[in-house]
Amino acid sequence: MLEVNDLSCGYGQQDVVKGVSFTLPENGRLAILGPNGCGKTTLLRGMTGFLPAAGSVALDGADLLKMPPRERGRAVAELPQVSTAWFAYTVLETVLMGRYAHLKSGLFSTPTRRDREIAEDAIRRLGLWEERDRPLTQLSGGQLQRVLLARAFTQTPRVILLDEPTNHLDLKYQVELVEALKAWSSQPGHAALGVFHDLDLALDFASLVLLMDAGQAVYFGDANDLPPAALSRVFGLDVPAYMRQSRARWEKIGGQR
Amino acid sequence: MSKAAGRWALLAAFAAASVLLAVGAGSVSIPPVKIVAALLGAGEDNTRELVVSLRLPRVTLAFLTGAALAVGGTVMQSVLENPLASPFGLGVSAGAGLGATAVLVTGLSAGALGAVLLPAAGFAGAIVTVLLVLALARALDRRVSTVTVVLIGMVASLFFSAVMDLMAAMSPEYAQRIGLWQMGSFASRGWRGPAVLAPVLAVCLALFLSRAGQLDLLTFGDEQARSMGADPRKDRRFLILTVAVLTGAAVAFSGIIGFVDLIAPHVARRLFGASHRRTLPAGALLGGSFMVLCDLAARTLCAPREIPIGAVTALLGAPFFLWIFFAGRGRR
Repeated sequence: MLEVNDLSCGYGQQDVVKGVSFTLPENGRLAILGPNGCGKTTLLRGMTGFLPAAGSVALDGADLLKMPPRERGRAVAELPQVSTAWFAYTVLETVLMGRYAHLKSGLFSTPTRRDREIAEDAIRRLGLWEERDRPLTQLSGGQLQRVLLARAFTQTPRVILLDEPTNHLDLKYQVELVEALKAWSSQPGHAALGVFHDLDLALDFASLVLLMDAGQAVYFGDANDLPPAALSRVFGLDVPAYMRQSRARWEKIGGQR
Repeated sequence: MSKAAGRWALLAAFAAASVLLAVGAGSVSIPPVKIVAALLGAGEDNTRELVVSLRLPRVTLAFLTGAALAVGGTVMQSVLENPLASPFGLGVSAGAGLGATAVLVTGLSAGALGAVLLPAAGFAGAIVTVLLVLALARALDRRVSTVTVVLIGMVASLFFSAVMDLMAAMSPEYAQRIGLWQMGSFASRGWRGPAVLAPVLAVCLALFLSRAGQLDLLTFGDEQARSMGADPRKDRRFLILTVAVLTGAAVAFSGIIGFVDLIAPHVARRLFGASHRRTLPAGALLGGSFMVLCDLAARTLCAPREIPIGAVTALLGAPFFLWIFFAGRGRR
């Protein structure tokens, strides 16, 4: 469904991402993992053409890098990492903005009844119905992140890109967000991929893993086959040992069962 | 009547009341009934003359200028995702000032030609400066980020202001006129100003309203706006140039009047929400009314002397702005 081929991109003259390739099938969920500065976010920015990129990104055969903005807005949505809002749009107004790429033309057009229904459905699905008339400036970081996910759903895209989506969230909302994304991805014609910091959460989310180091892919494949040795090498830390210690700590405070 | 409709009715009433008050007040006070009668062509001749030829053109120009600056400020704050952005910060005021100063110090401002040349030079100065700022931003930063635009606008403003000061210092005989022009005034301009500014404001406001959805998206920053299907670099360029035309036309007739462009958008958002479909018209009405009341204060408080209008907007505007801005913080 999504084919990324030999993608290179960066800031200015220097390439941060160097020739990364992978494919994402329908209903696939890809987690991009790697240490700080390895080019995860840059890869996302290159895939959407926000940064000038060499290589190709094809969505169902159409070149994403050459797609007109509105058409791309109907195909791909992004969930950014945002912790504050500056303008006091209400939740409903914000979510409705997800319909921008679907409006008849950009000028003088207002959302239709159908657009409204799609937005309201997404708001309900993410448990924000009670908050729909509240301004963004009064929401918690967790609520704001859910509003932005509702907006991404409202774009009715085929692919959602996530940039460390759970960064500002409490544990409960992290799990809920991942569940909502899994449910969305399992619908026909959908797929999702994203950058994750938390290994545990990434493995909960993902069916596929792309492990990056210094701008290159060192592993791409099934999440269940992820070689622990590669993880340890890339992160410069004995990851399995760390996970065992984490579990041991948990058992010490009586969390087993 | 819904709560929102009530607010709009109140705002419209406030605008109408401020205009009636300003037209009625002065050395001869005219009650609202007589103003309406004069507008309909009835009543005494000299009252009609006073209303139609003297006070109304001045009040109209003040209203249109305030509305234009408020709309320009609203759009700038949105496209630069910066609550302190303003058309003046982008070089509109410094450019217009430089253009006007060039005409003043060359002595070309005298007579009938000057009456056309002075606003034309102010307008041209404003547009050229903004074009320069955009071109420079593009040359130095391929992504033309909002921070780059704000920084280069600031540098250009300071630079052109310095050139203007230098010109004024070298021609001391014109220094007073240059100073007065910079502080702004709506005194005795006739209907020429409103006749130009009204259509410019109408067209620009319509253009902005037609792109209200786009403006809403741009407040979330380039990356998010783009992800929802906007084309931020292209959209922002068009919107900034339109703001330059609008505010360039406004300052060309009345000089540089600060603060309205900064405050009116914030008040409009506070009362009517952030959506541009509401903020733009509300900001226009608020900015227009505020300017009319400031001009009223400017010409009546120390009558028969006039206080520079820019001083009044800043005196009233500065504390008001602090109040609005920090009252907002407390609620966050």
